[in-house]
Amino acid sequence: MVEAIEDLGRIVREANIRARKSSISRRKTRDPSRPAAKWVASAPIGKTTGTALSLVLSTHGCSHALSDAGGCTMCSYLLDGTSGEVSADNLLSQFDNGMEGLAGEPAPLSVKIYTSGSFLDESEVPLDARNSILDRLGGDERVREVVLESRPEYVTDSALESIAQRLQDRHTEIGMGLESSNDFVRRMCINKGFRTEDFTSAVNRALEHDIGTRAYVLVKPPFMTERAALEDAVQTISDAVDMKVTTVSVNPVNIQRYTLVEHLWRRGEYRPPWLWTLIEVLRRSRKNLPSSVRILCDPVAGGKSRGTHNCGECDLALVEAIRGYSLTQNIERLQVEECDCLPLWKHTLAHEGPSMFVHEDIARGLLGNA
Amino acid sequence: MLMIERGHCGPARVGYVEWHGKKISLPTLLQLDEESDSPGGYSILDIWDGRSHDTSVHPLSEGIFTEIVTPPNTDLYLLPSLPGASALREETGHAILRRQLELLRENESDLNPKRAVVRIPNRVSLEDLSKALSSFKSLGVRAASLTLDGTFGPSDMNAIRLRRALPLNWTYLALGRIEPSHIPLLYYLGFDILDTGLSYRAAATDVRLWRDGIENVTEKHISPRYCTCDSCKGANLAEMPKSARYDIIAGHNHATYRAVLSEARHAMETGHLRALVEAMTHRSPALASALRRIDADLYEFLEAFTPTAGDQVLPLIGPESYNAPAVRRFRERLVDRYVPPPRKKLVLVLPCSARKPYSESRSHHLFDRAISSAVGGARREVSEAILTSPLGVIPRELERIFPIANYDIPVTGDWDAEELRLAAGALVEHLSKFPEDAVVVAHVSGGYRQVMSEAEDRIVQTLIYTDSAESATSRDALSSLESTLTDMRDVVPLKSGPQVAREETLRATADFQFGRGTGQLLIPEGANLRGKLFHLVVCELEGVQLCSFVGKNGLLSLTLEGGEILQKTGRYWVRFDGRRIRGGSLFAVGISDADPFIRPGDEVVVVNGDEEVVGVGKSEMSGREMCAFDNGRAISLRHTRE
Repeated sequence: MVEAIEDLGRIVREANIRARKSSISRRKTRDPSRPAAKWVASAPIGKTTGTALSLVLSTHGCSHALSDAGGCTMCSYLLDGTSGEVSADNLLSQFDNGMEGLAGEPAPLSVKIYTSGSFLDESEVPLDARNSILDRLGGDERVREVVLESRPEYVTDSALESIAQRLQDRHTEIGMGLESSNDFVRRMCINKGFRTEDFTSAVNRALEHDIGTRAYVLVKPPFMTERAALEDAVQTISDAVDMKVTTVSVNPVNIQRYTLVEHLWRRGEYRPPWLWTLIEVLRRSRKNLPSSVRILCDPVAGGKSRGTHNCGECDLALVEAIRGYSLTQNIERLQVEECDCLPLWKHTLAHEGPSMFVHEDIARGLLGNA
Repeated sequence: MLMIERGHCGPARVGYVEWHGKKISLPTLLQLDEESDSPGGYSILDIWDGRSHDTSVHPLSEGIFTEIVTPPNTDLYLLPSLPGASALREETGHAILRRQLELLRENESDLNPKRAVVRIPNRVSLEDLSKALSSFKSLGVRAASLTLDGTFGPSDMNAIRLRRALPLNWTYLALGRIEPSHIPLLYYLGFDILDTGLSYRAAATDVRLWRDGIENVTEKHISPRYCTCDSCKGANLAEMPKSARYDIIAGHNHATYRAVLSEARHAMETGHLRALVEAMTHRSPALASALRRIDADLYEFLEAFTPTAGDQVLPLIGPESYNAPAVRRFRERLVDRYVPPPRKKLVLVLPCSARKPYSESRSHHLFDRAISSAVGGARREVSEAILTSPLGVIPRELERIFPIANYDIPVTGDWDAEELRLAAGALVEHLSKFPEDAVVVAHVSGGYRQVMSEAEDRIVQTLIYTDSAESATSRDALSSLESTLTDMRDVVPLKSGPQVAREETLRATADFQFGRGTGQLLIPEGANLRGKLFHLVVCELEGVQLCSFVGKNGLLSLTLEGGEILQKTGRYWVRFDGRRIRGGSLFAVGISDADPFIRPGDEVVVVNGDEEVVGVGKSEMSGREMCAFDNGRAISLRHTRE
């Protein structure tokens, strides 16, 4: 007989696939010569402030999400991709289109390339396109920082070598979703599809090529209580630092369409993490970690019902505090005024574990007839 | 091990349980350890002094997918479940139970199953659940918990429906969002230990929980409620800092839980728990619809533990009473078990009276006088049927039986559609048992008359109304009753003869109590009846007493000889482990098997392994409980064989 825990894993995976429904086949076809999104903002680069371009390339999407494995339980970035064919030339046009946003900007510049999948996955971004993009970045003297994103299995020696060669002395980071350093949580709750050691090897390979890594840490995967999620995120950040990543990016779950997380949320069986949880994770992590490691956090949909949120009263202040901390790495920025909802959060931490009652939002009914 | 004490009202129980050498009186409450920084847990709350006991209840983990931490020094530990599992397919429930079983088996040395609490998933098939439960049982597990969100929506109702499939001698915890007003219902359903975690959650939003509702103490322009509890002490909550208020409100909320639990326990011990549950349905529509669905879906479960006897007043106030187990069981038993005595040629339909028993009311005295003066000695051929809501129709012979002599309803003369439907249905069923050539005389007015009209098309006998449309007890109506019956005496015709009311009452009672046909066995032709009807009537056959009718409760009590007759029917038997019983009580531990149809309050016969009748008495629990429990008083013995 199959172990019950494996059965639960299978049930979650099947539910995950069902939650996606036909969303993948109903994806939009986008203009293959334009990026899915791009935005420019000022950002700290090295010791000064410069301009950062974030560019989301429109590709056919994440191989893990497209595979029979069904992708991750909280993610539908795949839907940002296109269902049409995207050639190497198309991707280059997208890149050029994005770079226009930095026309005339003085150094230093930072360029972050996202794909809603893996930039280093050749089936997603053909080798030709990847190399040409890296060459163009390498040829632009203003660009001092490059951030790429990939799953660890594509962070190979040959990919790293070509990055190092083309980007030379630029500060380069490869962002990878570690999510949780607990294999069990990553497999059962997230369906991430790789082991901790795969991640560690990728970090080590990058180190050998003098390339930095950025670990994405997920706050509150599904099927966890608020308290368990908090502890898991703190542990994961600490483990990621021990693995020698250069930067940690803390990402509270937001409710994306056609995901298992959305399915649970609609039934009152999941609530995005409290902002208090996020602040607690950041505070505890900062205290215990060397200051050389940056801990970044830009909470997507912060304060909204689909994102990390509190009671609605204090959300804005907390999101601001977190953003301020992320920019400055100054822990004092996380000092915020106590809000009336703080005891409610504390109660959630205390009660969910023993009762197994998923504490929803107060707006969705504290008391049946309140 | 759960030890149960006397008392029954539905599946609720009183008793105690021992864990780790600590004795916990049931029912009781769980207080959340709100302050601890380590993963949370509960302790048992003392309902008298409000302090938390040193008995602790901790989870083994924060969920199946997180690490197991054996809590130090916990008395009870909650096995892991999966938060959010209700949103997954039903098979998830089975996998969660299997995971808990695996954990217990893998950690035999660390986890004592006697202190484990199985978490029952809200969604699991009954088949998978019973399979898993028997494995837990064989490991020695004796407690389980369910998680409720307090909305009584589909998830809660699934969980509640599972309660009927759980072993009788385990202890049950209800965790999650439980309001004080939910306590009577959950206790009634057989949950012994209830979570008060909402006390803190409410306090965090300035909400005081009351028995009958909630109150936000900071609401503007609304005066705060005065409270006598130790925590509030008349404090001006709205004016104080939030942090000070928080503790006071949390204390108040816990006090409310304690008071309501104590109220529920008292109601249970005095036989009023069901009435309290019904009264509480006015707290919220959700609670009201929950009780209606529970009555419909779990009738067999509730009925199995509902006493068949009692001397307390049974208030039946509104629609929530129409299908109360004691009420529905009466209607169904009347259909199944009542057989009209022979020679009845006229059925007289009468309205009920506010005073019980009916025959002691003023209106029935007046009816009685009119009937006697009209038909005199031919009364033996008249059957009286009393219409009432929501019990339906009551033959005169059964007017003293539980709950007929005990119920109390608001009388306005107006009947709602459901009452009309129930009473008309009962009347049609009842009349169909009489010969087609009998005559039905209806002496009714108002709503009773409406019941007649609703039933009319389905009544096969000739139906005659007296002139009583205005009022059944007016002088005109009574003289119309008398003249109609006088006419009928000649028309039908009705013949005089010796009075038979006593044997008819005893036989109808025997049939109702023990099943159709038993009346002829316990009160056979030629039996000698002594005593006044509705007081004490003793039935002897050839000088041997078989049974007696006790007017006070409307029931027959058996002698050993009567017990031997009952034994032959194959009903209401209990098998005793030894040869001879000593003492006034038989405990469940001494019972090897029992008729599963036995209810608390039934007259039962005790047989030994040689099929010899060794005692008769009154059951204190259900037949199923006698088999499941190894403790508790099962039967109060009336006679035992020397």
